[in-house]
Amino acid sequence: MRVTLLIAWREYMENVKTKGFWIGVLLVPIVFFLIFHVSSRLATATPTRYYLLIDQSGDYAAAVETAIRREHQRRVMQDFMRYLQENRTDVNAASFRVDPSSQLNQLLDNYDNDEVAALDQWLSSGGLNVALTMAQPYLRDGAPDFTEPRPQFVAAPLPPGVDPTADAQAIVEQLRPYLNGERRIDMAGDSASLFALILIPQDVDQDIVRPATIQGLMTPEEGPRGVQYWAGNLTDTRLSGAIQNSINSAIRQQEYARQGIDIAAVRNVQRTRLPLSRLDPGKEVGDEAVSLADTFRQWAPMGFVYLIFISLMQSVQYLLSNTIEEKSNRIIEVLLASVTPGELMMGKLLGIGITGITTILAWIGSFFVFIRLYQTVETAMIVQVLDVLLSSDLIPYFVFYYLCCYALYAGIFLAIGSLCNTLKEAQSLMMPLMAVLVVPILTMSFIAQDPNGTLARVMSWIPLFTPFTMMNRAAAQPPMVDVIGTTLVLVLTTAAVLWLSGRVFRQGILRSGQPPRIIELWRMLRRSAS
Amino acid sequence: MSTPVLELTDVTKRYGDFTAVNKINISIPQGSVYGFLGPNGAGKTTTIRMILDILRPDEGQIQVLGARSAMKVRDRIGYLPEEKGLYKKMKVWAIIAYFATLKGMNRRQAKDKAYTLLEKYGLHDFANASVESLSKGMGQKVQVLSSIAHDPELVILDEPFSGLDPVNQEVLEQLIRDLSANGQTVIFSTHVMQHAERLCERLLLITQGSKVFDGTVDEARAIIPRRIVLETRDNISPIRSLNGVLSVQEHPVDDDTRLPGTRQWELYVKEQTDPQLILQHCFESGVSLSRFDFTQASLHDVFVHLVGQEAREHNFR
Repeated sequence: MRVTLLIAWREYMENVKTKGFWIGVLLVPIVFFLIFHVSSRLATATPTRYYLLIDQSGDYAAAVETAIRREHQRRVMQDFMRYLQENRTDVNAASFRVDPSSQLNQLLDNYDNDEVAALDQWLSSGGLNVALTMAQPYLRDGAPDFTEPRPQFVAAPLPPGVDPTADAQAIVEQLRPYLNGERRIDMAGDSASLFALILIPQDVDQDIVRPATIQGLMTPEEGPRGVQYWAGNLTDTRLSGAIQNSINSAIRQQEYARQGIDIAAVRNVQRTRLPLSRLDPGKEVGDEAVSLADTFRQWAPMGFVYLIFISLMQSVQYLLSNTIEEKSNRIIEVLLASVTPGELMMGKLLGIGITGITTILAWIGSFFVFIRLYQTVETAMIVQVLDVLLSSDLIPYFVFYYLCCYALYAGIFLAIGSLCNTLKEAQSLMMPLMAVLVVPILTMSFIAQDPNGTLARVMSWIPLFTPFTMMNRAAAQPPMVDVIGTTLVLVLTTAAVLWLSGRVFRQGILRSGQPPRIIELWRMLRRSAS
Repeated sequence: MSTPVLELTDVTKRYGDFTAVNKINISIPQGSVYGFLGPNGAGKTTTIRMILDILRPDEGQIQVLGARSAMKVRDRIGYLPEEKGLYKKMKVWAIIAYFATLKGMNRRQAKDKAYTLLEKYGLHDFANASVESLSKGMGQKVQVLSSIAHDPELVILDEPFSGLDPVNQEVLEQLIRDLSANGQTVIFSTHVMQHAERLCERLLLITQGSKVFDGTVDEARAIIPRRIVLETRDNISPIRSLNGVLSVQEHPVDDDTRLPGTRQWELYVKEQTDPQLILQHCFESGVSLSRFDFTQASLHDVFVHLVGQEAREHNFR
């Protein structure tokens, strides 16, 4: 036991000193940081797009400009709501709504349920300035100033020398150097690149497509039809989408008017809704409403399955590379004069296992540090969800299946390592096992959706899949027979695999030359058994 | 005589149809320096691995430090394998201390011992260097030190001199003498006969898995009869018939400075025969000599004599 611990300690210390370990440990905090910090920065850092709108028909320019302004106000409102929730005096929303009749409260209600109504109210009540004044009493001390997001789309003036009344083709030819980036437009002294040209021809109304007269927009003989959107950037579709929506909305309003339909009535009808309450029959009477935390709890096992998988992948690297290092450097012979192969194997399993656990603990620790440092709406929600998670029975499941999974696969990988002299040899032997390991990951979401279905139940009884599948099913109260039966099979299989791996390890560790074929492996097992 | 430190009785190891070690018997007394000699592939390393219980013999018994298995007394044995290797990323002192702790020393003692040994054998400046920064020879010295740091009663060194420069070979010879002076038993295998000749009290010579010699260095030399080379123009019949002369062979004289009619004779004499007596008898019998050489067989000659043919065959296999 003493030498096993010594070997484990050395393995652990050596692994902890590697760059790979620290990359693994720091990866998760860095990803958190990137998700919550850089992504929000990136969103605000999206460049302003300058567009040129030439409306020869004269019917749609106002609608497009209104739509783009409205879209900007929607973003301002969204950012403001977020700012409000992060900087209010109390995270508990109930105490915030002190005055149920206040405009702010109505706005919040609308924002939660009907964004269109909220935006209408936002615009009609005076927008950001009024909202800021209203929110002032409810902001916590030291709350930062609200910064209004930059407009995403800005209309550019017509470059000099371009005749807006000319033929569409001529306009495009004149503006082509701007669209190709060869020339830049002048924006009040600053030069900027022209992102897109929106050209609405004089006779655009002829191209309106009605259900009764469906026809292709583009035919080779007739050239482009409808609104022409010219842009070199094919991936950013926000502007083209906004324009299409605004013009279609304007056309539809015209249509309503033409057919004598009350527009306000239609909009009210469109916003009519019936809420859906999701209820869980398994919960206490009066408390059956399904909360976000409940939903999260059902999906959380998938996160644990991932955690098991990633940690296992990391451990596999250590198991193989450390064993192969000892073999190829011929350290193994000195070790075997000091310890038995069994002690060596157990020491390695233990040391590398603790390395894996350290990584997971570091991830969880960094996660908790992260949600303490970044107290935002999302993290406040995560804290609530974590409380639910920690008080559930998922944690013991996770610990059990993590350990079993590690022992089962580590035994196999260690035996493979003992048969190989180079990582290349090991990789070819690992291939089938890796293919097996991919299966639980591929089926993970199907099992989460139908945790007690046939696929889930069958896979639970295959020991190589048991830890992943049963972990995935843990939140769905699987039948007792599955829980006890698969646990027994898993534990027995793990013990058998470790015993067999010990035999292969003992025989393989002093082998030199090519890894054995299956038949040789069988002979080795028999020899060590005799 | 005290109980032997190591005793092998009819130890045999086979790999399929190939017999790697065939009925080896040896007994090694405490405190001796014992050499394992033999050509490549003779079975030296296999024998050593069986002694250490890394491999199990198919037949026969091994008794190490009074135990049936080296594993039971592993803390009292030090081992340097033929193929040397160390953890590349570890520091020099740490690796010596690590192997010592595996052999039962506590961490504190092991660290102190590592520094003491590094100081004593000229590696103090490298104590905190990582193993991968060492030269091959230095790495080998570190490995030797890591095999003796726990003060083992029995030290087994498999080809300890290979890869060392002459200066470090001398350092290692001194280390082996120090161990022996300390009452520790040392077994080492080597190809270089000079080391065995200088260090060993007893030798085991094996070839093709079988023992061909086990005894002291003097006993080994005695295997090849002592030689006397004579050159004379006279009849050597009186010498030929002397008691103690085993055989006489004539060799051609290829030296033009000799007088015409000079013949060269090689006399093989018994171990206890005094060459002075032969010389005296030559004078008394009127044999006038133009050359009289007496040579003692070296261990190298003995090695070539005993295993030369097998070693050559092995090399061409």
